[in-house]
Amino acid sequence: MKTLKYILCALNIALLLICCSEKPPKEEREMAEKAYKDALLGKDCDREDYLAAEELLNMAREAVNNKKYDEARTLFLAAKERADAIAKYVREHPDECTPKDAKGDSGEDGSGSIAEQTFVDEANNPSNPDMEFPTIHFEFDQATIYADDLPLVEMMISWMQNFPEKVVRIEGHADERGSIDYNLSLGEKRAIEVKTKLLQAGIDPQRIKIISYGEEQPVDPASNEDAWFKNRRAEFKRVN
Amino acid sequence: MSFFSKLAAAFMLIIVSAPAWAQVRVEVTEGAISEYNLAVSPIAVTDSANTALAEDLATAIERVFDITGYFKILDKRSFLEKPDVDFTAVDFKSWTNVGANGLVKGKISGSGGEVDLELAFYDVSGAKQLFRKKYTAAQNMLKTAAYRFTAEVIKTLTGEEMNFMFSKIAFVEKNGHQYNLVVTNFDGSGRNVIHSTTKTILLPEWSADGTKIYFTSHESNNPNLYVIDIKSRQKTLVSAYEGLNTSASAHSDNKTISLCLSKDGNSEIYSLDTETKSLTRLTTNSATDTAPSVNSAGTEVAFVSNRAGNPQIYKLSLSDPANVERLTEQGKYNQDPEFSPDGKKIAFTGRDEFYKFDIFIINLETRAIERVTQNQGKNESPTFSPDSKIIAFSSNRDGKNKLYLSNVAGTKQFAVYSGEGEVVTPTWSQVTNQ
Repeated sequence: MKTLKYILCALNIALLLICCSEKPPKEEREMAEKAYKDALLGKDCDREDYLAAEELLNMAREAVNNKKYDEARTLFLAAKERADAIAKYVREHPDECTPKDAKGDSGEDGSGSIAEQTFVDEANNPSNPDMEFPTIHFEFDQATIYADDLPLVEMMISWMQNFPEKVVRIEGHADERGSIDYNLSLGEKRAIEVKTKLLQAGIDPQRIKIISYGEEQPVDPASNEDAWFKNRRAEFKRVN
Repeated sequence: MSFFSKLAAAFMLIIVSAPAWAQVRVEVTEGAISEYNLAVSPIAVTDSANTALAEDLATAIERVFDITGYFKILDKRSFLEKPDVDFTAVDFKSWTNVGANGLVKGKISGSGGEVDLELAFYDVSGAKQLFRKKYTAAQNMLKTAAYRFTAEVIKTLTGEEMNFMFSKIAFVEKNGHQYNLVVTNFDGSGRNVIHSTTKTILLPEWSADGTKIYFTSHESNNPNLYVIDIKSRQKTLVSAYEGLNTSASAHSDNKTISLCLSKDGNSEIYSLDTETKSLTRLTTNSATDTAPSVNSAGTEVAFVSNRAGNPQIYKLSLSDPANVERLTEQGKYNQDPEFSPDGKKIAFTGRDEFYKFDIFIINLETRAIERVTQNQGKNESPTFSPDSKIIAFSSNRDGKNKLYLSNVAGTKQFAVYSGEGEVVTPTWSQVTNQ
C-alpha cells in the first residue's frame, strides 16, 4: 500500500513539473497542511498567526475547488509561511505555548541499550473481526474522498472481504457550513461515494446500508478549519 | 373563518372618535427610514397592579412600529411629558419640541380578569387626534389588541396593510442532541413546545392552514418526513422512501407538498399529494437538487442545485418542470430559497467573498439582489411574514443562534427569541389571527 502511495506521489510531482497550472498543487497543499498541523501548539499563544494560517488554508482549498490552481499554490505557500511562523514562535516561547502537564525533562543522553519489539496493530488489522472502523474524510462541498484516506477505504474493503457475512452502515456527515437540507444531501453523496468504492471492489450491495445525518452530528463542535475537516466524514457502523 | 370570527369576538371594540386622517400620509420607500418621528408615551394605569403589563404593551407597540423601518421611534428619555390619562388635553407644543410627528397614548383601566385598554393616535404636526379605540379583553389578549391598533396606525400613515403581528413562527431549538419543535408568536412570546426528541427534528414547515407542521426526523433510522398536529400533538408519517425525505414546502391547496427525495440515488425535487400519495418528479439531474419552496400561486418552485458546480438558486415552472431558470450568479454558495407570499421576492442564504453567511433577497421583477444582513455573524434560513414585509431568520451575531426579525430592506433588525439551545430554521406561518 505504502509503496503504491509513493509511486503515485512521485508521478504526481512529475506531472506537476510538466503542466503547472493544470493540476492542483498537491505538494504545496501537503506542506501547508502539515505545517498547520505542526503549528497547533501555537493555537492559543500565537493566535493572530494561527487565525491567518487557517483563513489562508481555507481560501486555498476553496481555490482548488474552483480549479484556480495557481492562486491555490500561492495561498498554500502563504499559509505554510504563517504556520511556520507559529512553529517558530512556539520554539521561542516554550513556557507560553506548552501545556503545563506536557512539560518535563527528556533526560535522553544516548547511553544504554535498546530492546525493540514489533506488534501487529490489531485495531487496524483487516483480519481482526473487531477491527476499529476507519473514518473517511472529504473535501469541502464535495463528495471527493480526501486522498490520504483512500488507503483506509482499501482497509475497509479487505475487512468486508474477510468477513462476508457482515453488514455495515455508512453514515455520511457534513460540516456546519451551509443549509440543513443541502448538507443532508451532501452527507448522503459522501456515503454513496464510499459505498461505490466498496461495490467496485465486488462487495455485495446487500451488505452496505447508507444514511445521512447532514451537519447534525459533528465530532468537533468548534467553528474552525480543523473541526470542519474532522466533521466532513463518513463513518462505518456494524449492523450485525 | 369561524375560528377567526370567534377570536374577533374575544374583543369588544368601541370606536370612540370618528376617523379624520385623510390628509396624514407617510411616504414609504423600501430601504429608507422615513423621517417620521413617532413617540409612544408610557401607558397609564388606574391600578398599579397593571404597571408591568402597561410597560410590556408600550414596548410591544414600539417594536412593531420599529421593525417596519418606516418610522423613527423617539427615545422615551427625551420625553418632556409624564404619562397622563387625559386623552383630550394633549400638549402638542411640547411634543413638537421633542421632535415628534406622531404620538401614541394609552391607558389601562380596571383590574383582574378583563380590563379596558384605550389607545389613541395623534398627528402632532396637525395638533389633532386621528383616532382613539377602546379594547376590552382578558389580560393575555391585550397584546393582540395593541397590535390591532398598530396595524391601523400603519395603515393610516402608509396605506399599507400589515398583518405580521398576528402570526406565529415555528423553529427548531437545538441543545446538544436535544431537539425541540417550538412555536411562538411573531414577537417570540408564548413559547409552545410541540415535539421533542434526541433523534433530530429538521426543516419544519407550516401546513397552509396553520394547524400542522411538517418536519424531517431520524426517529425511525431514516430521514423520514412527518407531520404533527399542533393541538393534538399527533404525529403522522408522510413520506418514508429510502434515503432523504426532506425540505417539505406546503402548497396553498393544503394537501400538496414539494419535497426532496433521494430514493433514485440522488437528491431530486418532487411534488407529493399527501392525500392520494401520488408523486410527481420535478427535476432530473445528476447534481443535487433540494430545498424546494413553492410560491403561493402554486405555479413555481424555487430550489437549490449544484448542477453548475456549486449551490445556486433556481426556479422551475410546475406546469413545465423542464423550464428551469437560474436566479443567482454571484457567490459560490447560495442556499435556502424562500418565496415571499406575494410572489414578488425570493429570500436566500448566501456566502459572500469573506466566507460570511448572510441573507439576500431577489426582486423577481428587476432580478436585482439586495443584501439584508452584513457584518453581523452568521445569518441563515430566511422566512417571510404573511404580508411579505418582514423576514425572520437565525443569527449568531450575539454568540449563539437566536431568532431575529428584519424588515425586507434590512434597515431594522433585532432578536425576538433566545432560549437554552440554538434557534435553527425558523418558518413563518401564513395564517393570521387578529
